[in-house]
Amino acid sequence: MQVTFKVYRKDPEGDGKPGRSTFTVELPDDANVMDGLLKIRDEMDGSLAFRASCLRGYCGECTMRINGKATFACTAKVSAFTKKGPEITLDPLRNIPVIKDLVFDWDAFLWNKIKAVKPWLEPNEAPASGENLLPDSVMKDLRQVMSCYYCGLCDEGCTVLPVDFNFLGPAALTKAYRVAFDPRDRDGKERLRIAEQPKGVWDCVHCFEASEHCPRGIQPTERILALRDKAFKVGISHEKVARHHKSFAASVKDSGWVDEGRLALESEGLTNIKGLMKLLPTAARALVRGKAPLPYLHAKRPGADQIKRIFEKGEQEEK
Amino acid sequence: MKYAFYPGCVSRGGCPELYPSAVKVAGKLGLELEELKDVGCTGAGVLPQYLSDPINARTFAKAEQVGLPVMTICSTCQGVMAQANYRLKSDPAYREEINREYLSEEGLEYKGTTEVKHLLWVLFEDYGLDRLKSMIQRPLKGLKVSPFYGCFLRRPPEAITPTKELSRRKSYLDELIEVLGAELVDISGKGKCCGFPILTANEENSLAMVAKHTGESKGKGADCMVTPCPLCHLNLDGNQPRAESLKGEKIDLPILHLPQFVGLALGFEPDEMHLKRHIIPTRAVETKVEMLT
Repeated sequence: MQVTFKVYRKDPEGDGKPGRSTFTVELPDDANVMDGLLKIRDEMDGSLAFRASCLRGYCGECTMRINGKATFACTAKVSAFTKKGPEITLDPLRNIPVIKDLVFDWDAFLWNKIKAVKPWLEPNEAPASGENLLPDSVMKDLRQVMSCYYCGLCDEGCTVLPVDFNFLGPAALTKAYRVAFDPRDRDGKERLRIAEQPKGVWDCVHCFEASEHCPRGIQPTERILALRDKAFKVGISHEKVARHHKSFAASVKDSGWVDEGRLALESEGLTNIKGLMKLLPTAARALVRGKAPLPYLHAKRPGADQIKRIFEKGEQEEK
Repeated sequence: MKYAFYPGCVSRGGCPELYPSAVKVAGKLGLELEELKDVGCTGAGVLPQYLSDPINARTFAKAEQVGLPVMTICSTCQGVMAQANYRLKSDPAYREEINREYLSEEGLEYKGTTEVKHLLWVLFEDYGLDRLKSMIQRPLKGLKVSPFYGCFLRRPPEAITPTKELSRRKSYLDELIEVLGAELVDISGKGKCCGFPILTANEENSLAMVAKHTGESKGKGADCMVTPCPLCHLNLDGNQPRAESLKGEKIDLPILHLPQFVGLALGFEPDEMHLKRHIIPTRAVETKVEMLT
């Protein structure tokens, strides 16, 4: 079949401006997109830059956007992308500095962030004899996380990265989980502090895009939530988030539901005059519209006592 | 058609216009609601799972007792409860543990039979579009509307779109806009996050998300946006003025709650849907709607 590839181009040694090249190639019906790229480079334009390694969907090197969808070029069948016409557009992943053509900056995108979570174990005291073994149940969970091959698709799907490229992102935070939940590591609490660093777990909106994008079923969003739950249990280090979560939990525990007015005030901090002043314009607008929930005037729900009992029991169990 | 109604905290707190609008719309459609009063907050993704799962299991057990499916009017309530319900239904040992440790003292047991559905899903899956169309008294012709789902009404797949047939849930809001006679103004961020969950941790990013979504919708000519999630509403409507300051330009996009939008098509007047309670004035929408009557 004849396919026309419209490929994103950017040459740092040229004018550096992005553009697009068009190549029409003849490919077998069962060809994948990488077959097309290799043919273009071998026969038409040796300057076309892209990454490729395993060519069988294991390494994640050839991650790119094909007709806008982020996936691996080596396993993407051309026929799946030409149902509406014989043209395929190829672009690098979004919001990432491009080095040349389809080659983007993996360091900025992923590796510097992976390094920021200190992705190595600092072993606790080794047993007197033998290996430092983990129970099967723990290893089974960690092994799933360790099956990540850093393709970057979870970060590509992330909702936060398009507005803040410095967010650590689901791939790096999943790596933080891998170390924080390994009982062989020396200091689990310190690991949580690393995950809670600015641009870390508390900047995640838990939209589950990362889990939906992960081709390995690692569930990065659930890993981030597990890190947050663990931090909640041992004490959140992010001051404002700690106040917010404490207030949220206290109001549900006291009344069965959320006292939104109280939550707004206590999240800022009752002695934080500057923070409280910042709330005023929003509160004033809401008051004018008759929709500002008044703090601390919050009726208990009928089942509040049972909710409180569940809280107390849960807090006790998790100690 | 009867439901155990779970209105959530925000529909009576930060978005008090939502609760009465939803009740009026349900009444007009003939959906019978029995409100679950003796239940707690879902945890909204803030409370850790070890606290929120037992609280939600209790809610499901209460609904099971009255033999009704739960109906929500909040994407966040829906998402958190659907995730908890998925865990409780798919892992009987876990459900038993929750029953034993948390519910048995109150004489409750969750058997794993409760269904939880957002009003949006109810309209498509239970009520039916043909019946809904027959109830339309004011087709919203000429009203340009962008959908905004709220992340928790789209993902994770095992809880929200567990079958191929139910993957259509990802386009219900788009479809509804056209069913009610309005014009769909599609936006790239309709299934993304509104920014509300990080308003505390990173206000700048949160407001940037508001500006991105509302700005795109406005730029494409929408008169308003409609959302099934009151937490999205709190950010997209309530914090739009702050997002405008951040962006340095006026956006001025009214945000409607799902029941308000449906209500206008059912013939309710804007005042009956409490549009005056919004932070971003809804005058442009009201003017168009009034011209249709």
